Amino acid sequence: MDFYLPIAEVSVNAPLLIALGAAVGFISGLFGIGGGFLMTPVLVFLGIPPAVAVASEANHVAASSTSSVISYTRRKAVDFRMGGVLAAGGAVGSLLGVEVFRWLRLLGQADLVVSLSYLVFLGVIGALMLWESLGSILRRRRGDAPKPRKDRRPPWLYGLPFKMRFPRSRLYISVIPPILLGVFVGILSAIMGVGGGFVLVPAMVYILRMPAGVVVGTSLFQIIITTSLTSVLQAGRNQTVDVVLATLLLIGGVLGAQVGARASSRFRAEELRALLAIIVLAVGLRMGLGLFFTPSEPFVLMTGNG
Amino acid sequence: MVAALDMPPAAVSAALTTTNVRVTSSFRGARIVLYGAVLDPSQKPSDVVVIVRGPDAPVRMARKTRIAGIWVNSRPVVFEGAPGFYMAASTRPLDEIASFSTLRRLGAGVDHLRINAPMEQRTETRYGVRDVVVSGLGADYLDWRRAVVRLKEESGLYAADARGVSFVDKGLFKAEIDLPTGAPIGVYSADIFLFQDGQPVSSRTRGLTVEKAGVERALYLFAHRRPWSYGLASVAIALAAGWAASVAFRRN
Repeated sequence: MDFYLPIAEVSVNAPLLIALGAAVGFISGLFGIGGGFLMTPVLVFLGIPPAVAVASEANHVAASSTSSVISYTRRKAVDFRMGGVLAAGGAVGSLLGVEVFRWLRLLGQADLVVSLSYLVFLGVIGALMLWESLGSILRRRRGDAPKPRKDRRPPWLYGLPFKMRFPRSRLYISVIPPILLGVFVGILSAIMGVGGGFVLVPAMVYILRMPAGVVVGTSLFQIIITTSLTSVLQAGRNQTVDVVLATLLLIGGVLGAQVGARASSRFRAEELRALLAIIVLAVGLRMGLGLFFTPSEPFVLMTGNG
Repeated sequence: MVAALDMPPAAVSAALTTTNVRVTSSFRGARIVLYGAVLDPSQKPSDVVVIVRGPDAPVRMARKTRIAGIWVNSRPVVFEGAPGFYMAASTRPLDEIASFSTLRRLGAGVDHLRINAPMEQRTETRYGVRDVVVSGLGADYLDWRRAVVRLKEESGLYAADARGVSFVDKGLFKAEIDLPTGAPIGVYSADIFLFQDGQPVSSRTRGLTVEKAGVERALYLFAHRRPWSYGLASVAIALAAGWAASVAFRRN
């Protein structure tokens, strides 16, 4: 059953998109990431113009994140205050990111920066996560005591001004690191068309030192706010949100996210992280390595005029 | 000679089976048939050429170059004069029907489209001749131009069929126009030329409109006329769907 998309102006196979939405929604609910880093490249591969793919994907991520964040809220696994601070930074970052992206498109270098960002960020984060999680899985198998968390309170995190209490995360830290983290993730999400969960989750664990139990839910909560904002901005400024495409994706997405959020409690945290690391690494390499191969067609058509 | 003066001149007439293509949610391209007749009492050998042009759409294109082992895009070049859809169909290969200059004048055939990059052009005085147009793309200019046509052909938007016009009966001919799913929205024109002895002796122009219809049209207009409300509405759908799924699963 094919559907003609009114904004993307291409015809797509509806059951395929619903199935893709469900698969990515499942991963989203399982790992507490938006899943945009998986879906955006797939949509572009299916022939949807990149600008429309990025904008409509933000809508799909907002839907599946809402679906799973409600289940996390029931388990009291969301730090709304921390999520709000991150989202405030994220809002600033996505406004900046949209401008940076426009400028890159004018220069014709948007493709390059997107591919390099995927290679560098997904590659590095995937490799680090894989290393760390494999380490803890091996230690547990050998029956060693878990590695003591060294430097439980990094001094730079506590030496900064504007301290705030985050009771759910049992933290009393300056708001500057979370805001900067939010800005960085916001810029990244506008450029790469992703929610930014793959950066946020490890950053919350390793930099902010939040308890593992609230990381996933809080990340999803902040993703809902930034992707909703991105979606409205993209629709308002560029008219690139395809509501038919987004709806097809989110039908599967919201259901997949529910199943994923339930399944997440059956796995050990480090096993989940190892699995996510492999997915992240694979997508990063797939997107980035294309830069090194000789293209079969030396010319590329660019969509849009700006 | 007297007889030739009495005879009416050769003429062509043609009609499209569809003049209005409606793009709805089930749109997967369209095939339009063009029928026409050659009215020529002198029975001279005739050739028919059909040129279909869609609305003009500037093409932005870049070339990949290798810098430090990485393939990067060059500065984008904007080509103007490229139609969003172009089809040339004829009874014989175009270069057998008419001379290069005639084809160039009519813009018949993908090689004769007036595609140029005005932003790259500048005028110089060369060998004492003033206002010579020089392209900043230099000797590669033809490569770029060919790439525009090649990429458009790959997406089904440009086509040249040297046997696309066929005579189904004496004086009655037929041509098929295949619009791909990605065909641009707008007003198209189909020019039908009758060639005799290498010259166009008669021509007809027929219009064709491709427009969005039904829900597709309503959504497209909503997205462009009230972009902010459209954005808020699409986010509301997303959040509501997420909430609904969560509630539905809790009850189960």
